[in-house]
Amino acid sequence: MDDLEKELNPREDMENDDDDDADDSCDNSSRKEGSSFKLDLIQPICQKTLHENGFHQSVRLCLEYIREAMLHHRWLEAAEYMASYAQILEDRVNLTAQQYKELVWRISTEILHHHPKSTMDDYNVIYERMKHSGFKHYLKISLEHSFHLMLHGQIEAAKQKLSEAESWRHGKETTSQYQMTKLIQAYRSLLDYIIWYEKKSMLSGNDSFESDSQGMQNYYRQASINLKEILSNPGVWDPFILSYVTMLEFKEDQEEALEVLNKYAYDDSFPPNPNAHVFLYQYLKRHDASQKKLKRVLKTLHFLVPSHELMLEYFSLLLQSGSKKDHQKAVEVVLDMLDFACWRSNLDVWKCLQNSIQNLQTGEDWKSFVEEKMAVRKEWWPALHYTKFHAMKDSEENPELLKVKASLISALCPDRTLKYSVELESCQE
Amino acid sequence: MDEEETAGYSEPCAQCAAVDWGLSEEGRFFCKSCHNVIERTKEVMDLTFIQGANRISTLGRKSKTETAGGRHTWMVCEGFQFILMNQADALLRLGVHPHFKDGVLRQLWRLYLQKSRQAYCVNRVRSAKFRVGDADSDSDSAAEASVASASGTDGESNPCSSPSSKGGSDWSGSADSLCYLTPRQRRSHRLLSLKKTLALIHLALVWSREALTLSDLLGLVNCGSVPYVKAHEQLPEQMKLFGKDALLFNAETVPSHRSLHKEAQDLLLFLQLPAFPPISQQTLLHPGPLSLRYLIDANLPGELHRWVCRVAELAGLFHESSQTFHPESQPTLPRYDLQAAALIIVTMKLLFGLDDHTEWELSNNARSTDGEGAQFNLRRWYKLMQTALNRAQQKRDQDTARRQWRAKKPIFMRKKEKWWIMKKKRVAEQLQMCFEKLSSQPSGPKDVTTSSFKFCWGEQKGADGPSLHHTLLDGVVGLKDDLLTPHHHSYWHSSLRPCKPRCQNHFTDLKNTLPNSFIWLLELFCFILDVKPSCLYEEVLSVERRVFAPPTDRARLRNRTETRTRHSAQTSGES
Repeated sequence: MDDLEKELNPREDMENDDDDDADDSCDNSSRKEGSSFKLDLIQPICQKTLHENGFHQSVRLCLEYIREAMLHHRWLEAAEYMASYAQILEDRVNLTAQQYKELVWRISTEILHHHPKSTMDDYNVIYERMKHSGFKHYLKISLEHSFHLMLHGQIEAAKQKLSEAESWRHGKETTSQYQMTKLIQAYRSLLDYIIWYEKKSMLSGNDSFESDSQGMQNYYRQASINLKEILSNPGVWDPFILSYVTMLEFKEDQEEALEVLNKYAYDDSFPPNPNAHVFLYQYLKRHDASQKKLKRVLKTLHFLVPSHELMLEYFSLLLQSGSKKDHQKAVEVVLDMLDFACWRSNLDVWKCLQNSIQNLQTGEDWKSFVEEKMAVRKEWWPALHYTKFHAMKDSEENPELLKVKASLISALCPDRTLKYSVELESCQE
Repeated sequence: MDEEETAGYSEPCAQCAAVDWGLSEEGRFFCKSCHNVIERTKEVMDLTFIQGANRISTLGRKSKTETAGGRHTWMVCEGFQFILMNQADALLRLGVHPHFKDGVLRQLWRLYLQKSRQAYCVNRVRSAKFRVGDADSDSDSAAEASVASASGTDGESNPCSSPSSKGGSDWSGSADSLCYLTPRQRRSHRLLSLKKTLALIHLALVWSREALTLSDLLGLVNCGSVPYVKAHEQLPEQMKLFGKDALLFNAETVPSHRSLHKEAQDLLLFLQLPAFPPISQQTLLHPGPLSLRYLIDANLPGELHRWVCRVAELAGLFHESSQTFHPESQPTLPRYDLQAAALIIVTMKLLFGLDDHTEWELSNNARSTDGEGAQFNLRRWYKLMQTALNRAQQKRDQDTARRQWRAKKPIFMRKKEKWWIMKKKRVAEQLQMCFEKLSSQPSGPKDVTTSSFKFCWGEQKGADGPSLHHTLLDGVVGLKDDLLTPHHHSYWHSSLRPCKPRCQNHFTDLKNTLPNSFIWLLELFCFILDVKPSCLYEEVLSVERRVFAPPTDRARLRNRTETRTRHSAQTSGES
């Protein structure tokens, strides 16, 4: 009936139906104007539009009920209404179809997450159906589907889904969703790596490593080729690079691994990523690189993240080296670490500071150096470390820390009388 | 096991020429006699897939010779006739007297077909392309068509130039839906539509003086007891629906009370019907019995009925000549349900004031509210009614939300859209099945009951509350000069001057100025009748206009209705 009105020229029937429809819509106090197929602009989904027919009214109400149920975590009720909501997908009006499909997909998966009786089969049905129902979100849903399978341990199935998605082509859509394709390739290679790794760990018990080497080779080749290609794109690829490096290490391809890691850490086109330096450092350490190289890597890391826990290792490296400059640098490193509240109560760090100051004190004019370093910190360091409150806390929790910290006061802040020490005196008495 | 899976493949093996295939673990075909593995693989099908779900199903172009055997050509009016009769049968199943269908409805249908020149006439409306063998014999038999003879009547008129065998815009299942939709036809408003069938049914019901009002009929349509939205599913198998038929037979909305009444009115004029059988006080459509029914439903005291009848007399609506359609004296079809509700509202206004002040004072003065001689207490009634109304309103909204509008066999407008409509349908169905399984409940409204009463009052289980039907109006009316008069002496009303004919309804503008009790009462009856408040408000105004008509008008009314009104209610309004 409504199709009838839309198909026929509405302007002729308008005059005759004016009374009718004007009165019907007199709750919305605006006159009906123009054609009934005026295209609606983007509007909030739950809003009532003019000339809503019975079908649209039902689905709009249904969506409101679903929303209420979900917001109040009444998942059983939401599932009931969702069963009645499925008819929205049959709507003949194509204008907002994409919006509704995405809505249905996301709501369904959310309900399945929380519903007590949902099974993997249900997930599979939903994902498969929604995947094939439209072009714009095929890749997105494929990716989510495989993530879901991955999280539930079904690696093979996840890989299969991703392979299908990888070979999907649909004209212009493929080019517009280029980034999604890249992601899919990346994750597929990651899955290849996981499978390869599992197989390797299974087989490492056996002495015959040659069995199924064909399959292993396949996985290795697929994974490594793709990973290498992915890593050439700027981005943050932490899990991928780790897996690639592991594979390369297994094949004992050191130069390739080093090259990849260096590029990841030092290439300007990649976004600054402290983890890159961590990976590089760990790799170098594993392969017994020289101290100079290690120090160099950690220097960049220090610049990026002064509070990193690897700074302790850097500190020890610097102290080992023996040059005065390095010792001074060590002090600097520890002070930088203590700028951050997370190291405040760490005994090791304070001990390191104590050691390094003592070390310096063996040399000349350490005072001016320390003073210079503390100059920038004079205003706020005492408040950060040496208040009465800290004293009380430290005396309760970690008396040794109290001692270490107290002993440093004279070195670090000689001209300030801090309550810390006062408290200490009163405690000692 | 292998045989089942490889059963379809019967090529001889390349090496040994035997046809003995098996399936390896990886899904490849191998010859059992020589173990030759071939390239063919059995595709791993996801069990949750329906076979061929994602593949385009081929649309066979049936050759012209096949149309005679496979599909039958049929006319649009035949289709609507089936639907009409199905709807009438549904009503008969609900208890309407059979005379309604056989005696009244069929006659009206034939009259309609005759007047709109679709059948029973000499110069039938038809397109140039559609050649009919014999006009007279066709028109006689068209209306009598039963399922078996549907093929027979039109069998000989299966022309090569039939529109149904062509693709493109002429493509439709029925033979004449295209000519049905020409501009000329549209302008003449003789188009058959689902709304028209309902309007016909309403007229037939009024004629046979059944107790179903228009709002009852719409209520039955909404809950699915009377087929409307999916009516085309009940057409016989031989009638294939596609193409332009979609415009005529698809329904995505149920018409509103107002639009259906207008349609019925237009139909009345078009058919030039004579005067209807009189609606007397015994008929259930008359304001007398109908208002009693609404009083019971709204849990109001039965004593009010006497006052309602008195107000109806005052308004000149009590006499049967004002309730019965007559081409000269009463050319508009009365809206019985709205009228009765409006009368009740006016009576309530009269007795209780409904100005947010008087009614509460009166209820403060009410004595004990239980047992014999209990008095009607408006406040108590309001509380009971409000909770019941909220509950019922919520249930109605939930049922609306769950309602399923899509038919199992959709009608395709264009050939090329068939496959993606079916695909969408499959997706929706799968989704629905998945969630139905999860919630272990079928989709669709729960616990649908067909009852003309919206509320249930009494002591039994499941009732909405105690019944106040027996309570007395002692606090509200009293004896004065041996006449029962209300204690409340004034009456308020909005401006009664009717606006220019094409003016919009003013309810939305006035809503903020009207007293809340009045608005609430309006909304209560709007829920019971399922109409918009503005419609009911209009009706209330028109009743008030009749009651307070100036003397000249009232004389006219008096002459017309031939009733002597007795002003037993003291009013001070603008007279």
